[in-house]
Amino acid sequence: MFTLVHGLYKYITQKEDFYVLLLGLDNAGKTTFLEATKTRFVNHYKGMHASKITTTVGLNIGQIEVDGIRLNFWDLGGQQELQSLWDKYYSECHGIIYVIDSNDRDRMEESKVVFDKMIKNDLLTDVPLLVLANKQDLPDVMGVREIKPVFQHAGILIGRRDCLTIPISALNGEGVHEGITWLVDAIKRNSLARPPREND
Amino acid sequence: MGGLFSYFRGLLGSREMRILILGLDGAGKTTILYRLQVGEVVTTIPTIGFNVEQVAYKNLKFQVWDLGGQTSIRPYWRCYYSNTDAIIYVVDSADRDRIGISKDELFYMLREDELAGAILVVLANKQDMEGCMSVAEVHQALGLENLKNRTFQIFKTSATKGEGLDQAMDWLSNALQARK
Repeated sequence: MFTLVHGLYKYITQKEDFYVLLLGLDNAGKTTFLEATKTRFVNHYKGMHASKITTTVGLNIGQIEVDGIRLNFWDLGGQQELQSLWDKYYSECHGIIYVIDSNDRDRMEESKVVFDKMIKNDLLTDVPLLVLANKQDLPDVMGVREIKPVFQHAGILIGRRDCLTIPISALNGEGVHEGITWLVDAIKRNSLARPPREND
Repeated sequence: MGGLFSYFRGLLGSREMRILILGLDGAGKTTILYRLQVGEVVTTIPTIGFNVEQVAYKNLKFQVWDLGGQTSIRPYWRCYYSNTDAIIYVVDSADRDRIGISKDELFYMLREDELAGAILVVLANKQDMEGCMSVAEVHQALGLENLKNRTFQIFKTSATKGEGLDQAMDWLSNALQARK
């Protein structure tokens, strides 16, 4: 009887675990986006003030519960020498968020090159991709319409995976909810190919 | 007004954070401890046992434990694990021969349940030495990509020159405050 009740309890409360990678050049706003996400989806989470967020050299993690699943974030450092560490996480992730600094026209090409290298990795085939044109709160930034063509030619590499590009501002939270909601749906659709991690 | 109130409440209600400084012998743990406390380079001898000091950093109080790092006394680290808020793990970036041992000790340590909630700061120390490992090299040599359920950050430091410690403490105090 106990086993039955216990099993039922586990069945009701158990959440499937999915993992999401936050990638992009340094200073694109990955950690700020993670904090904005946690502030929105985690009850009572105060969040770190944006001015206190520094360059990531290492890993920031986050966990949110949406729509009956648990999303776990891995926010990695974006500096050039740290990019070689990204692929260590590819085989275990269920979704990718690629963050672009829409205000940094000078580094758009660099961001594209890094994006191409990432997206053509075999370990990421068919993994849903969310591209964020961040920092839309600043004046005169590149809009999605301007950024999309830069990354467009990677169409073959992107393949038939679910892919969405949206404008956001991690600083004031615009677009964060929309992005996460879309990604959750895409990850669920892809969960036959990439099943959730077994948890005990 | 409310902000001011919560600021004072924060000051009154804050307990001392407990931090452990760990790493192999000769990594620079004691030098770092006294850099943090008195802001100077002190002459150190290999620590047998521990040093403990109270360190104040930007309105935060830390109780910092520096434990001896020699092979024979590493098994005693675990006696100090309970109630630890953060671990500062110090690596000698110039010691390529022993970085593997450092990795093993790190993972052996992080397996302990008592440290499950502790924040990890890795200091790639001795960056003033020629031919030392870069941050990415230290990351790889320590196998940090295997730490997937814990926030951590690596900083380049030179304890003797006092470089990098401020950034590390800044990040650590923000991370500790955000966690509450």
